[in-house]
Amino acid sequence: MQTQQLNSKNLYYPPGGILLWIVIFLELFTFGIALIAMVVYGKNESEIFHNSRLLLNPTIGAINTLFLITSGFFMAKSVHCLKESNMHKSWVYLILTMLGGFLFLILKSIEYYGKIEAGLTIGYNTFFTFYWMLTLFHVIHVIVGLVILISVFVQLKKEKSNIKIEDFEAGAAFWHMCDLIWLLLFPVIYLIF
Amino acid sequence: MNISLFVKVWIVLILLTILSAIVANGNIVHAASIILILSIFKFIGVTFYFMDLRKAHIFWRTSILVFLGLFLLITILFIE
Repeated sequence: MQTQQLNSKNLYYPPGGILLWIVIFLELFTFGIALIAMVVYGKNESEIFHNSRLLLNPTIGAINTLFLITSGFFMAKSVHCLKESNMHKSWVYLILTMLGGFLFLILKSIEYYGKIEAGLTIGYNTFFTFYWMLTLFHVIHVIVGLVILISVFVQLKKEKSNIKIEDFEAGAAFWHMCDLIWLLLFPVIYLIF
Repeated sequence: MNISLFVKVWIVLILLTILSAIVANGNIVHAASIILILSIFKFIGVTFYFMDLRKAHIFWRTSILVFLGLFLLITILFIE
């Protein structure tokens, strides 16, 4: 395990690596543009969007926000502990991070099940088209993030691990990106219409 | 008791989430804009503290703030 750190003040070495930050910006722009499109449609079909928004459960959305924020907190603690070469604490925080992600997915599945049971599928109206496309795309990111964290976790558990701190930070940055996307999705989809 | 910076940021983020829920349920003028602004603060909390962007080159910090500014401006223009 190499815990030597790069100078993150350098333009080419942001925390997590330059390539991942390019991905983060592309993702943020993609979701940002889709959310702006949703707001524009919402202005034109204000009654449909308002009535559809009332069919969502903002409490579930708020609890999911708490799960992701707390998961992000544990991820930050995990990276911090690894930089201090405290492998055991880093490992424990990583497990708690993944737990937050799994709880998010469980609650999201319950929410999706309720929507499908009620017939509120992707073709129900414009609001639900945006709802399904944006939240499902986000869920895919969460699943990919969890796969990355599991692979990092497996590497970390190995006695002769060759994982570098930059690799760990890159995985953490991807996980935080899921959090960031949700922080934009939650108010627009669940609260403002 | 020495409360770490991460814990302080986490508490602020939780409080902002609760505040967003209160604003959404209350009969407040410009509620949508207030909720979006609160989310932007949460976004800054995650990027600058959890992702350690505050230690990164100014280019990355400015880029995130420009993105957030544009997103907020365009969204508020359409919802208000």
